[in-house]
Amino acid sequence: MKTLILAAAATLALAGTAQAQTVRLGTEGAYPPWNFLDDQGEVAGFEIELGNELCERAGFECTWVTNEWDTIIPNLQAGNFDAIMAGMSITDERKESIDFSENYFPPDPSMYVATAGTELDFDNLSGARIGVQGATIQAAHVEATFADDNTVLSFETADQALADLNAGNVDVILADGSYLQEVVSGSGGALEIVGPEVMIGGGVGIGLRKADDDLEEKFNAVIAEAKADGTIDALITKWFPEKGDGPFFTE
Amino acid sequence: MLEILPEWMKDGIGDDLLFWLGYFTNGKHLAWYASVQYTLLAAVLGAAFALLFGLGGATLKNSRWLPLRLIGSGYTNMVRGVPDVLFFLFFPLAFEQLVELIRAQAVCTPETLADNAGRWPPCDAANWYLGTNEYLLLACVSLGIVYGAFTANVIHGAMRSVPRGQLEAARAFGMSTSQVLWRIHIRQMWVYALPGLSNCWMLLIKSTALLSLLQIADIVLWADRLGAPNYTPTAGLVHPDWRWQYYLVLLVFYILLTFVSEKVFAGLMRWAGRGTLVARS
Repeated sequence: MKTLILAAAATLALAGTAQAQTVRLGTEGAYPPWNFLDDQGEVAGFEIELGNELCERAGFECTWVTNEWDTIIPNLQAGNFDAIMAGMSITDERKESIDFSENYFPPDPSMYVATAGTELDFDNLSGARIGVQGATIQAAHVEATFADDNTVLSFETADQALADLNAGNVDVILADGSYLQEVVSGSGGALEIVGPEVMIGGGVGIGLRKADDDLEEKFNAVIAEAKADGTIDALITKWFPEKGDGPFFTE
Repeated sequence: MLEILPEWMKDGIGDDLLFWLGYFTNGKHLAWYASVQYTLLAAVLGAAFALLFGLGGATLKNSRWLPLRLIGSGYTNMVRGVPDVLFFLFFPLAFEQLVELIRAQAVCTPETLADNAGRWPPCDAANWYLGTNEYLLLACVSLGIVYGAFTANVIHGAMRSVPRGQLEAARAFGMSTSQVLWRIHIRQMWVYALPGLSNCWMLLIKSTALLSLLQIADIVLWADRLGAPNYTPTAGLVHPDWRWQYYLVLLVFYILLTFVSEKVFAGLMRWAGRGTLVARS
């Protein structure tokens, strides 16, 4: 049995070196328009298009792996994929466990959304049920700001939080503006953005293992290139029409 | 998908129905229907492993040598007492890390080990990437180990249920020990084992719903994805949480699967019992 395992390990080791240029990109596949499964059942969205573009420029052979949001960092570290592109904001807390590339999306305000007609006093909020997606910057913000007098409910996906908002199970949710804007404009007036905008996070970047300095360098180089020639600006305008025409990264 | 239909047929069907027909045959849904292959493969391969482990376990339990007998009953008692969900999570992860540990001895250098201190795998080179196929195989082996423990007990009991007289008569005819075992004992054992094995198979089929725990895109994971609410028009049809409707379809699927299995086992039972008294009762 032991020789069998060793033999298997040896072939796996060889296979590993032969495909050195393969990069697996981990994404959630449930966060439109950043990343989602389209009608064909394939991953699609802003990050998929951008990721494929970056890989082509860097000469990587890239494949996409979908992984639930709340285990995406542990699974990066366990080697199930090599990089995270899942609308993940760059924060100091996350930097303790993983590295980030330069951001490919500028810092973006988070917004509160409630059903139309809801009155909330954000200066002394109490007794409210606030929905967030678990393990996000919004969850951390709400926990720190409102947890004492309010109930914070965390959901597996952002869409689940919205479903419960629509069902009346939560009063308000906090999420990325980039995600909410299309949702609110598509709700036909049923939902509206309320209260203050919250600036948290340092933009969105590619999450990488700390040891993968080489990969980080290569991604940074192609991100800088795509920023400078307007590719990223064009993609942002395409996938986030509410953001306008920019410029976001070009001078 | 529906583009192949001629115009007159589309007119006859009507726009509403046409929309839903299109929706339920889009790529996402086709992927869902196709994922049935994982469930069926896991059931068949899992059953094959279970039979293998079961025969092995029963042989150990029947052994004349005490240590082997202890291993056999230790296996059946321990594995039967562990919830299948737990074992399903435990075995693939434990096996993966064992392989990585063994690889680490060979491929890691002190520098890469220090680089990765406190994290797993010990160094990046030792990482064993598990794709769908690898996870599927590990899932089948886990199912085999869990249901092999039940199968071992069933087969062990069935071996003892074969009337002594049959074996004595075979020996009296001058058959060798192995001839008695293969032509008489195991041949007649199936009749007593089949009802129990059919139970194990039913349990095993139900356990295939656990595949999604290992990130295999099986019918349960796809039902989850398809039923999940969507509020962004870019991502497809906007709809609230539809998961219970999709789970209902899975429910019907599993009931149909077990219903067909019952029919197949009834046929097998007739086949295994041909020419014996048990079959007629």
